[in-house]
Amino acid sequence: MNLRFELTRFLNLCFALSSAFTFWKGLSIVTGSHSPIVVVLSGSMEPAFQRGDILFLWNRNEHNRVGDVVVYEVDGKQVPIVHRVLRTHTEIQGKTSSPGRQLLLTKGDNNAGNDIPLYAKKRTYLQKDRDIVGTVLGYVPRLGYVTIWISENRYAKAALMGAIALSALLSNE
Amino acid sequence: MFSLSQRFQQTSNHAVSFAIWAAVFVIATFCAQLYHDNVFNLASSISNVQPHINLRSSRYYGSTNGKPKENVKIAFDLEADLTPAFNWNTKQVFVYLTATYKGTRNKEVINEVTFWDKIITDPKDAVLNVHNAKSKYSIWDLEEKLAEREFQFKLHWNIQPWIGNLVYGETTGMTTATMTDSEKKSKPSSKKNAGI
Repeated sequence: MNLRFELTRFLNLCFALSSAFTFWKGLSIVTGSHSPIVVVLSGSMEPAFQRGDILFLWNRNEHNRVGDVVVYEVDGKQVPIVHRVLRTHTEIQGKTSSPGRQLLLTKGDNNAGNDIPLYAKKRTYLQKDRDIVGTVLGYVPRLGYVTIWISENRYAKAALMGAIALSALLSNE
Repeated sequence: MFSLSQRFQQTSNHAVSFAIWAAVFVIATFCAQLYHDNVFNLASSISNVQPHINLRSSRYYGSTNGKPKENVKIAFDLEADLTPAFNWNTKQVFVYLTATYKGTRNKEVINEVTFWDKIITDPKDAVLNVHNAKSKYSIWDLEEKLAEREFQFKLHWNIQPWIGNLVYGETTGMTTATMTDSEKKSKPSSKKNAGI
């Protein structure tokens, strides 16, 4: 057993992990959103987006327009929601440098009614600066299904872990 | 010499650079074609807007603390041809009729609301010719009253691609209407649902 060799391998592993982390955080700083790439989990925006589509977000816009597809989070719920903006109520603020407050009402293209039943208790609007994770810029279909499959299927999870362990064992030379 | 992780790194590097170039190519050709087809300058006509005002006191119609709110529905005519929006990368076109209006209590508030929208997935359905259609949504404001306010109507579109970037734009047609109840006496009993 060569200690120097083992240490180099460990260092390489650390490098790979930290570069992935740096890439993600860098993207998050550039886009202004805490999760700049998301995978669609529900069919409420069909036929525009299906389960498993990957969306790229941008959150440096001050206000949203009606028709924008946004991702938002509701207090007390873990899963972010991808829906379209139905109404905007925007304060134009000339005096201070900060953008004016904006209230949004959203709706899923495939849903019959608007999102008020989904919002946190007593709230009938979303607030742009507080609730919005990002606005959808573009997307890649279906590719994200891998992550859904892995997180929802325990055999897939075990197989992935096994493959990683096996490759660590086999790449020993 | 080659370990599994090295091979994995090499293939993933190739995959990432290929993906970036493919994305650039798709976005550039898609946008170039849309400009070429003059999609950002499509004509439309919105006319015969007839507002209908109702008082609603449900939370799902904007009422807060039991105070009733004025809700507006409209009937309208609409003509537009969105066929140029369809090309090799168009999965669907989302058309929506919006109105913008100012606040009265706080003049610094601009509001934009959707009255009607439609998802078009087939270029055969891309010619819109709608007469006396009812708005899909009942509109209320942050304030209690909407009557006598001036609404500016426009028809917008959003192209959803098979892969790549979402494209937004508006058609050239525009009309303004004051929210005065057009038919106070004829209520739900005479429901005519023409159009679409």
